[in-house]
Amino acid sequence: MKVVGARLPRYDGVGHVTGQTQYVDDVRVQGMLWAKALRSPVHHAKITHLDTAKAEAMSGVHAVVTWRDVPLLEYGHLSALGIPADEPLLAKDTVRYMGQPIALVAADDEDTAQAAVNAIEVKFEELPTLFDVRNAFDEGAPKIHQWGNWYPHFEGDMDRRQIRKGNIEDAFDRADKIISGVYRPAAIEHVPLETQVSLVVPEPDGRLTIYSCTQALYFSLAVVAAHLEVPMNRIKIVGGTVGGGFGGKVDTATETLTALAAMKANRPVKWRWTREEEFLVSSTRAPWHMEIIDAVTEDGWILGRKMLTLHDSGAYARFSPYGLTKHSFHHTGAYTIPNLHFDGYVVFTNRTPTTAMRGFGVTSISFAVETHLSRIADELGLDPYEVRLKNANRINDTSPNRIRYTDPSSVEVIQALSEAAGGELAPAYAGATRAPREGEMLPEHLIGQLKTEGH
Amino acid sequence: MNIVLNGVTVAIKSPPLASLLTVLREELNVTSTKVGCEQGGCGACTALVNGKPQRTCLTPIAAVDGASVTTVEGLGDSDHLTAVQQSFVNHYAAQCGFCTPAMIIAATAYLEGNGSSDREEIEEALKGHTCRCTGYQKIVSAVAAAVAETTFDLTVTTPSPNTVIKSGGQT
Amino acid sequence: MATHRGFGISSIEYPTGMNQNGDPSQAWVKVKPDGRVDVFSGTSDIGNGAKTIQSQIVAEAIGIPYDWVTFDNSNTDSSPVCTGTFASRATFVAGNAVLKAAMDVKQKILEVAGKEMEVSPEDLHIVDGEVQVKGSPDTKLGVADVAAAATWTHGVLMTGTGAQLNEYAEITNTLTGEVSGPPHAAISYAACAAEVEVDDETGDVRVLRLIQVYDVGKAINPSLVEGQIEGGALMGLGLGVLENSYPYYPSPDHRGYSIGSYYMPSSEDMPEYKTAIIENPSADGPYGAKGIGEMANNGQPGAITAAVHDAVGIWVTELPITPELVLRALDAKAEPRREGKLIAFDEELSVNSMASGISWSV
Ligand code: FES
Ligand code: FES
Repeated sequence: MKVVGARLPRYDGVGHVTGQTQYVDDVRVQGMLWAKALRSPVHHAKITHLDTAKAEAMSGVHAVVTWRDVPLLEYGHLSALGIPADEPLLAKDTVRYMGQPIALVAADDEDTAQAAVNAIEVKFEELPTLFDVRNAFDEGAPKIHQWGNWYPHFEGDMDRRQIRKGNIEDAFDRADKIISGVYRPAAIEHVPLETQVSLVVPEPDGRLTIYSCTQALYFSLAVVAAHLEVPMNRIKIVGGTVGGGFGGKVDTATETLTALAAMKANRPVKWRWTREEEFLVSSTRAPWHMEIIDAVTEDGWILGRKMLTLHDSGAYARFSPYGLTKHSFHHTGAYTIPNLHFDGYVVFTNRTPTTAMRGFGVTSISFAVETHLSRIADELGLDPYEVRLKNANRINDTSPNRIRYTDPSSVEVIQALSEAAGGELAPAYAGATRAPREGEMLPEHLIGQLKTEGH
Repeated sequence: MNIVLNGVTVAIKSPPLASLLTVLREELNVTSTKVGCEQGGCGACTALVNGKPQRTCLTPIAAVDGASVTTVEGLGDSDHLTAVQQSFVNHYAAQCGFCTPAMIIAATAYLEGNGSSDREEIEEALKGHTCRCTGYQKIVSAVAAAVAETTFDLTVTTPSPNTVIKSGGQT
Repeated sequence: MATHRGFGISSIEYPTGMNQNGDPSQAWVKVKPDGRVDVFSGTSDIGNGAKTIQSQIVAEAIGIPYDWVTFDNSNTDSSPVCTGTFASRATFVAGNAVLKAAMDVKQKILEVAGKEMEVSPEDLHIVDGEVQVKGSPDTKLGVADVAAAATWTHGVLMTGTGAQLNEYAEITNTLTGEVSGPPHAAISYAACAAEVEVDDETGDVRVLRLIQVYDVGKAINPSLVEGQIEGGALMGLGLGVLENSYPYYPSPDHRGYSIGSYYMPSSEDMPEYKTAIIENPSADGPYGAKGIGEMANNGQPGAITAAVHDAVGIWVTELPITPELVLRALDAKAEPRREGKLIAFDEELSVNSMASGISWSV
């Protein structure tokens, strides 16, 4: 191979170093307006009064968009996959997180747009709030979402994601030790250097050209077309060159509202979020609450795992049901555990909805499982490499969903890590391969792992 | 008001409190200076003002009346890249590229101030410039190489230090 | 008061492609009259290098130089469907789509070349932009000449399309989580070791070194792979010891609103790296590639927590591991509850002590 495997320069490298790569904010069009949003100043409230008349009357203001202007107000990020919608594009009667958009103003410049936002009359009646996922289930917990405090629509009507495999009670009975721990990684920001931005140009033929920083051109095309209730050929998304994303730009955060403002004003409109907006109201990686209880043998085999996950979705579902499902499918990490009992909930709180971020659903698991395994090795007085190599996936081991692994390379990467770190593995581990288990690496509890289908 | 932008004197019509960043981008259509934060935090808007790197988002245009302002457009175009620009290509020091023009401005100033190829000194010099993509390793390598070398091959990229590739593992 | 060094490891896996699949990517390729090739793909380049990787795949598949390829992902009018750049799918899933499109157009080139050279297309291949008779490389015709002939003599547009769609894996049993087929396009593997220094007076944790091993299947461009690994590592370090959107989580108060008040890794936080890239080809990826862009920030936090324990004997299981958490843990010297065969850590954080509506035990 000549081209594949070669250290060729970036296709866009020269554009980057000369400053000529064109991002959305660099596109220039005549007569462009700037947009600013009215956002909720409170965490949870009823909107009792919304009057945009004064803002609309201001000179230099060309459009004020509220929920009344949106053809299809609710369209879920995963509606196409059968996950119902719960989040309005603009708040109608309720706000469920601080920063939730209520109206968008398009004006001659950003200062005028902001002045018009300030002139919108809005009144709230504050409602009780919920922030700790652990208390969402308590009797008397404030009800904060139309579906209840946790997502109730897995495969239609399940209120949690559940995995059951093997015989968990038996695993705990047979265990030498039962080791439990709680793991709580924080929410973090994506912080792409380019903030969320879009520029929408109404074209003479009635189409809309949407300059977008989306990570997913067709995903965004589908979302915008659905909200506007137009066929896909009315919209042209222009993009493909993005100033960092890390998952946060899978959300179609600005495009639809900017399009509505551009249509109403019949002028090009740009909406570029400030860094403050990016930090305070753009979606974050979710904070997770994970409890792991492992049934282990004295020599470091993991016989069974019980796990509870509470996924802090913030005020709306967005991609969280997808993320939790992925999380559940990977909750054994790179290891085979034949007996499993997993319950996971997507819990609503009054914070900014969380979303996809690099490693979605699994970053949390990797942290929890690896810390837990290090604890197990420490408690049992075993070598952390060996505990991992024992349980690491081999050909014919099965995943939590009972899918057979065909080419796992956990064994090789752990061996290579030991070598790179200057460690020395015992011969049984140094010579291990991904080949199907046999001999010492096939303990009794794994002999039947392909036979323990069902529960 | 006027500035000497990349060697050419231009008159400025924007109001005196408009930031140099806004003037560059919105009045003069110089878009290599990026809007990263407008808080003085990320460095993506950096240009050379009278030869010194300065955050243009925090600089009122009136404060630089008459000054010489250099952006990456004034360094080298695609046919005449400077050593720093070549080194960034050769070291694959840009991913999304949004931080890159300002990084190149900062690195250019570092070189002009006789900065050394010591990695820690480069890290210190760049610490006010956020890059969320690269992890900085290849940026530091690019600056170190630009200090040390004079020619770069733009048809290949240079490996990171301390990296090995093992092909054809177990199957 | 002293600083203590510690070492910890982790080993991780990560799926490629959307969970449960069903995420299409498509591409089309056409040849200009001088043999230069245009690729239309809907894959956004978010810095990951999709433009570069997909161009390399096309050049390799057809047998032409990299700089003959023009890549266009600029809009939804000309580019076919791509679900997007996420789920580590741009190289693997979308890369497969462009690979198929390139193989398709290559066949068209060989057919026209066959007519021009009066040789059966099966006996031809393309090397460095020249169509050659297999086994006799001197009998050849430039791809540029083939393209000219297609355009001006044969009246043929040489174009190719490709689509990649892995079948949706339905959950067939909601109680057990069983699925109708593999819910991923492929799985990638990695391992990570962290060396840290913990100051027991200030509580400060510094990550000194990260040793990392990734099985990338095939590094289509090793420099881009390194870029993902190094960029991901610093993001994982941020997750482990620096970053927090809600510093008083679960409280929403006192959030950082600026780059100065949100602690993100800077160039000075960069640890020393040692990296091994293993190429264990995947069965289904383009040229054996896997997708590692996302998992690049998954291994560090677990390795860091273990290293902190190794250094000062505490398990901090809430991230990030801030000086405050370190000092509190050093003060508390908490031991797990040991009862019979049970060893229970972190009970104060559990729903069992915090909530009345849900509980969790063996
Ligand atoms: S935009 Fe000026 S420092 Fe960020
Ligand atoms: S390359 Fe994306 S921020 Fe530096």
